[in-house]
Amino acid sequence: MLSNISHYLNRFKASLQIDQTIRDGVAEELYTHLEEKTQELEKKGLSKEEASKIAVQSLGSPELIAQQIYETHAQGSWKEALFSALPHLLVALLFTSYYWQNIIYASLIVVLTVGIAIYGWQRGKPVWLFPWLGYYLMPVVITGILLLSLPRSWGWIAALIYIPLALFVFIHIVRQTARRDWLYASLMLAPILVTFSWFSSLGTGNEFLMDSMWWASLQANALWIVISFIALAGATIAFIRLKPRRYKIISLLIPPLVISFSAIATSRGSIHPWGWLILLFSLFAFATPVWMQARAQG
Amino acid sequence: MNYGRELLKGNTDSLLLYLISREPTYGYQIVKELEKRSNGYFQFKEGTLYPALHRLERDNLITGKWQILPNGQQRRYYYITTKGQQVLARRLATWQDFSTAVKSVIQAETT
Repeated sequence: MLSNISHYLNRFKASLQIDQTIRDGVAEELYTHLEEKTQELEKKGLSKEEASKIAVQSLGSPELIAQQIYETHAQGSWKEALFSALPHLLVALLFTSYYWQNIIYASLIVVLTVGIAIYGWQRGKPVWLFPWLGYYLMPVVITGILLLSLPRSWGWIAALIYIPLALFVFIHIVRQTARRDWLYASLMLAPILVTFSWFSSLGTGNEFLMDSMWWASLQANALWIVISFIALAGATIAFIRLKPRRYKIISLLIPPLVISFSAIATSRGSIHPWGWLILLFSLFAFATPVWMQARAQG
Repeated sequence: MNYGRELLKGNTDSLLLYLISREPTYGYQIVKELEKRSNGYFQFKEGTLYPALHRLERDNLITGKWQILPNGQQRRYYYITTKGQQVLARRLATWQDFSTAVKSVIQAETT
């Protein structure tokens, strides 16, 4: 049977969706507090059971402490919020100035994104990392799609080797992120959902990037794409700055879903089957962490 | 809402900063010290102390360090930072001005 203290700490940990190091640190502090109080009460003649029960009661609701600790650590600074939104703004800039047509600018942004994502991953995964990580994962998925566009036999051979490897990397990063906080996984996958919504809705060509109609459509919709990424940047800033978890979920879920459904609506239903597959994959990947979070709380 | 509780809520950070400025201390000792110094007037759910300590640490007013005691037990001691000392000095000055002003108003009324 669990002791009063263990039961209390388990309730506390289960209620606190936060970086594991912080959660374990606070739990350890509460544990030393409870132990010390219990020992003091035992010296006054109470039994261990009675003493630990009173110690636990005097600390108050573990769920309330967890909520207050979460709100203390959940709100990022303005600097963190702006740095988190920066990759979305860089992508918006690519489209505003048609820089995406310039291989040097586009490559610079890819290298910068990958570099910052690796740097953040090695520096203890700060909250600003996750949107950058989303863009880091994008080439992994796009390469898989491009491989499928190769001449039939070559395409399948490449895909059979590459796709399992890419899926392994993708799932590994999502799992590592979700272990920190389910919501960070959705924050990371939001740009993937928005990008692939546009990617799929812009044309019906059998070979996405090879189709001239697809490129023309991309150019025609550049302004809406820019607005989408600016909206995503706004949603990211709101997510980082808001304290209550429910507001974070709203700010995280609604903008990307509205953007992706709007992008799909512009296609008027003329999405290639591969496009639907990519869309469903990114929608599933984006929504699953929030659903898991709801299930964990429910 | 209880007025005393509201007053305590509004001044918790200053009280914690003051106690930590006197000597590095830890959660349970702070609770006991607050109760002792206020003759039992300040009583609250002890768990609410930890979010307050973490808030002060997030704002770089205090810093926490784990220490292992000779008996193997671990405690997280809190130390005031330079920024914390400056903030505390400003708050104490403001509080003293406020307290003097309140006393002056009340004394003027009662004398």
